[in-house]
Amino acid sequence: MTAQMKLGAFLWATGHHIAAWRHPKAHVMAGIDIDHYIQLARTAEAAKFDMIFCEDAAGLREANVGIASQTSRSIGFEPISLLSALAVRTSHIGLVSTASTSYNEPYGLSRTFLSLDHLSGGRAGWNLVTSASPIEAANFGSTGLKPHADRYERAREFAEVVTGLWHGKAPGHHGQSFSVRDPLDLPRSPQGAPVMVQAGASDVGRDLAARTADVVFTAAQTFEEAKAFYDDLKERMAAYGREPDDIKIMPGVSPVVAETEAEAREKHEELQELIPDDVGVALLSSYLSISDLWRYPIDGPLPELPESEGMKSRQALVVEQSRRDGLSIRQLARHFAGARGHWRIVGTAAQVADELQARFEGGAADGFNVMPSYFPGELDAFATLVVPELQRRGLFRREYEGRTLRDHLGLRRPA
Amino acid sequence: MHLAISLNIAAAKGQAVLDFGEIKTFVRAAEAAGIDMVVISDSAEGLSSSPFEATTLLASLATVTDKIGLVASASTVAHQPYNLARRFASLDIISHGRAGWHATMAQGPREAANFSRPEGFSDTDFRRSEEYIGIVQGLWQGWDADALLFDKTGGRFHDPEKMHLLDHKGEFFSVRGPLNVARSPQDAPVLVLSGLTEADFDIAARTADVILLESGTAESAKTRFDDLRRRATAAGRDPDAVKVLTNISFAPDDEPAASMDRLETQLRAKSCDGFNIQLPAQHSALDDFADRVLPALRQRGLVREGYRGATLRSHLGLAGGGDQ
Repeated sequence: MTAQMKLGAFLWATGHHIAAWRHPKAHVMAGIDIDHYIQLARTAEAAKFDMIFCEDAAGLREANVGIASQTSRSIGFEPISLLSALAVRTSHIGLVSTASTSYNEPYGLSRTFLSLDHLSGGRAGWNLVTSASPIEAANFGSTGLKPHADRYERAREFAEVVTGLWHGKAPGHHGQSFSVRDPLDLPRSPQGAPVMVQAGASDVGRDLAARTADVVFTAAQTFEEAKAFYDDLKERMAAYGREPDDIKIMPGVSPVVAETEAEAREKHEELQELIPDDVGVALLSSYLSISDLWRYPIDGPLPELPESEGMKSRQALVVEQSRRDGLSIRQLARHFAGARGHWRIVGTAAQVADELQARFEGGAADGFNVMPSYFPGELDAFATLVVPELQRRGLFRREYEGRTLRDHLGLRRPA
Repeated sequence: MHLAISLNIAAAKGQAVLDFGEIKTFVRAAEAAGIDMVVISDSAEGLSSSPFEATTLLASLATVTDKIGLVASASTVAHQPYNLARRFASLDIISHGRAGWHATMAQGPREAANFSRPEGFSDTDFRRSEEYIGIVQGLWQGWDADALLFDKTGGRFHDPEKMHLLDHKGEFFSVRGPLNVARSPQDAPVLVLSGLTEADFDIAARTADVILLESGTAESAKTRFDDLRRRATAAGRDPDAVKVLTNISFAPDDEPAASMDRLETQLRAKSCDGFNIQLPAQHSALDDFADRVLPALRQRGLVREGYRGATLRSHLGLAGGGDQ
């Protein structure tokens, strides 16, 4: 049997497209409807996805209330409670939630994820992020946003304490940011330890991932970017005594798929038309970590930008794309609004499968985190059109190999 | 009369722990009997073990029950107020308005040692607790009940006028808000307080929906109940907006009839609004309660025949429950 790719179903509110909620077939009340999520989880499980993936932020996405009110992203479920609810309504699929090291304590967070792991019979994972948003910072005291390097130093210490606790150690830890005396009062994980996921793509982010991650979620537009990231990260692992296979690299992909290419293009265009200009520009501004992008002519080029303390790696990606394709602010805003800087494929099941196969077999990905444009329609489309095509090609499982998330991902069980 | 069951899922090391199926079966039995709510806590002072943390367990239980109120204990040391408010607001939506937060005013030294507070607690902690509770309750009011418009064609997801910043700047915390979780189906999750000292009575009378009190003599219970109602009135609240439940436990060899007499006497004396039955997380205790005590409660008419409303506030007769 040839190697098979891993697939995550990235569930997010009404959909990953910024205007998803306005689509006639999108479930607009997703953020207050638990039954909707139970249905999505079951769709993903029936299609044999490795895991469900949830993002998180401890605050609004958008500071401008006028812009925020034109998107569906200001309200939603807190993901750990959401996944705990899904845990007992599913049987196989992995459940991965994002949580920030900036505004949590390692003892409490490790305990919560271990509980999710027990509730699900060994299917939990934690996506470690550091918080770069000043909106979040304002909900946790007035100290303001910490510099990038400091956030990662705290994250490194946090991850070290959590891993120790999950491995049953009594940490007796007295570090720079945390002090933890006791071992956890929960039994060991059914899968040895919950799966550790990371998404930071900056230099320090990559080092942290190479040292501690089991899965890495990334954003890469082109094959070359994806391949360069993949090779770099796998190479860094050796320094920490780890094998390349110990990390599964899963770039985000935002497919728009239909029976014919024309239908897929039409579906994509329909979504793009629903993006108000002010919303698109605001979203682009937040990725670039600058607040006054609206001052520049919308049909002109992107201005020169200072280096930010926010998401360094993603900013570089956006700027590079704009220069490469000669895009105006409006064009770039629309382009990024759709897939949030992730890779987008518009086409038939065979075309989508071709692209995924090329990156998988070309050594640029171990799998993909699928980011449907709107829910439930686009998850259904991927499950019913693309998954069977991948299975026919022998690129994706027809049945789960085991019961835990580590089983699905083919990850070593920690001693 | 209102009845709660407190279940501490922490079991002494070496003892068998309850699995999810057993807890689910028990909570469903309590639901079939018409109990207002179960209050789940997950920690003990000494070394203990259970596979679950209370808020995550509550989320799971919410999807396998329909009516019963579900309250989880969560510490003001273990969570930042914004995160705790989010977790419970989310649990409330998952349970369709049946969630509550149990905050204990008594702080455990174990928490200090594991949550980066090696210096322990200080005399100002009661002020910190009150500020914390105020932030959480304030965040729960950040979205008006009719704030979400869902207007696809008009492009208006919500009405920005109906979303409110908290803008809290206090002695211990600074929180801008708003919460990124929608308004509760029961107006706000229910706040349950316990572990009160005399000094905490005013805070409780100002903020709590339910107060759990240690049992004492009938006279002292009556005195505390009247005292709390007076303080609630002084704080500008309807005294009936705070429900006072007295903690009781049943020993396995208690005669159910004698226990029921005890409860009825206290109720007649108007020394509380109901009871909080404390159970250890042991198979035998759960079985005993379901087999002997629940039927006796029903026989005396001490629990309601079925639920009239759908939310925890409605079960408790509190405003905002959706059926007032």
